Amino acid sequence: MTATLSRADAEDLLYREALLLDTGRFADWLALFTADVEFWMPAWRDETTTTQDPDSELSLIYYKGRRNLEDRVMRLTSGLSVASAPLPRVVHQVTNVLVLEAADGVAEVSAAFTCHRHDVRMNRSDCFFGRYLYRLVDEGGSWRIARKVVTLLNDTIPTVVDINSI
Amino acid sequence: MDVTRYIDDRPEDGAFRVNRAIFTDQAVFDRELARLFEGGWVFLGMESQAPAPHDFFTTFAGRVPILVQRDGEGHLRAFVNSCPHKGARLAQTQAGNARLHVCPYHSWSFDSAGRSKAIKWQRAGCYDAAFAQDDHGLAELPRFAGHRGFLFGSLSADVPELSEYLGEAARLLDLVADQSAEGLELVPGQVTFTYAANWKLQLENCSDAYHFTSAHPSYIRVLERRQQEISADVVASVWESSDFWKEEAQGVAGGSYSFAHGHVLNWGIFGVTPAIPLYESAQVLAERHGEARRDWMFNMRNLTIFPNLQVAENASSQLRVIRPLGPGLTEMRTWCIAPKGESKAARRQRIRQYEDFFNPTGMATPDDTVSYENCQAGFAGTVNPWLQGHARGMTASVAGGNRFSDVLGMQPERSVLADAQLCDETLYHSYYRAWAARMAGGDDT
Repeated sequence: MTATLSRADAEDLLYREALLLDTGRFADWLALFTADVEFWMPAWRDETTTTQDPDSELSLIYYKGRRNLEDRVMRLTSGLSVASAPLPRVVHQVTNVLVLEAADGVAEVSAAFTCHRHDVRMNRSDCFFGRYLYRLVDEGGSWRIARKVVTLLNDTIPTVVDINSI
Repeated sequence: MDVTRYIDDRPEDGAFRVNRAIFTDQAVFDRELARLFEGGWVFLGMESQAPAPHDFFTTFAGRVPILVQRDGEGHLRAFVNSCPHKGARLAQTQAGNARLHVCPYHSWSFDSAGRSKAIKWQRAGCYDAAFAQDDHGLAELPRFAGHRGFLFGSLSADVPELSEYLGEAARLLDLVADQSAEGLELVPGQVTFTYAANWKLQLENCSDAYHFTSAHPSYIRVLERRQQEISADVVASVWESSDFWKEEAQGVAGGSYSFAHGHVLNWGIFGVTPAIPLYESAQVLAERHGEARRDWMFNMRNLTIFPNLQVAENASSQLRVIRPLGPGLTEMRTWCIAPKGESKAARRQRIRQYEDFFNPTGMATPDDTVSYENCQAGFAGTVNPWLQGHARGMTASVAGGNRFSDVLGMQPERSVLADAQLCDETLYHSYYRAWAARMAGGDDT
């Protein structure tokens, strides 16, 4: 038996995802994704359009499969990456949550985000903002993220942007 | 400028030292902009960025906005992207197609050859006859030339011919261009990032074999994890299918070449492996160029054309344009550069490898750029102003080339053959000797 996603369901999942990233609970964050998740942050082709085909155009991040996100989390928390230690402080604000389509057990959801990041190493704060597009699926009674597209609007990257600040 | 205050170059004593001040001093930086970026050859872009009649792209030479424009007959020119009337920036976008550029401020217009097309209400303007004596067209760069699709310009006319400036390092651009009979292209999707440190740290890092295992252990750990559990979900890296960079590797693993005018190559032997997207063309490239040149196309090659172009072919293939914004701030514009006509599978592999390693949102570059920022912070310490990072390889560096450059018919000024642990630093001397030659003289500071 599957459910139809409500806006409250969507908000609950997206806010929880934000909280898990903000508090560095990465194992719980990974558990929100399906094993075959598509995680995509396109690059910008020109002033007005992002890249559309990840196989023939460059993305900022493109992964098919949660194990790639597991690699990123391993790197981020390994202590072996000077860019990641100490971890910057982040807070995500997720708004404008809208269920675009909802059928039995699958839904498309859009949202807007800002992520404030304080890089304690450089004593420098940055703000990243853009839009999210999600495909959520019901897996055994829980909503999971099967696809997440991050459109980063301010894409001149100040030194580094990792998975915890988008 | 007395450059011996900044570069202590005494080959007879086996000494080469760089003063930290060259990374932090505002007067040094201003002079670099004037002499290197706005007074000599700089890379502007690829011909493929403006392929059709009336196509254009915009870029910078130092602080100066540049418009590279193809006219109706297909002829390319480079202009200062600034209206002669009030100086406003003319073309507003990174690229486009325009038979006519109309200045958005007072509507002066220019054709795609840069000629003045119309001056709004000129007859009613009560201009003096002296005004008619001026050329109302766009200011063309005094020097503009290309090599195999790589376009360069100079805001000063007082420079050698481009072929002389590139010299023997042009053979290394040929190795990039020759990977496809159809030429090169930039994969759609440009990535721009900044870092809070001096531009020369990017020059050095590209040529730095010494940092890889120190700065990128988290990336190496990811590669190890992927090898333990191979699946279609993860892209294979050429680093994991090669071991020239590992400390236990034996024999000649690569080395460095130094050229006149500050160009350098750091290279290593990858071998002809399926982890490299070019693998599908290995046979045809050997037939077209011979096995030795083909093998060079598969080598790890980090090339710098001084002062602002780098072509890095290691984890994937990247074109980088370095733009200094301040002594402690640098902008990097980066693209995936690729041979035209490769298969969809090879292109996909190239792109995935690129994102993983090269992007500022990836798993390697941030550990470099954060290290540059750590250097920049440390440069404030001038108790001992002389750095000790330019001395490895001093007794291995020899004049001229070696058997590996011979097969390319290439004659570098100096070369080093290295095992995995030598990690030559003498190739930086080429940067700083060119830097010193261009920065010296002219005043008393």
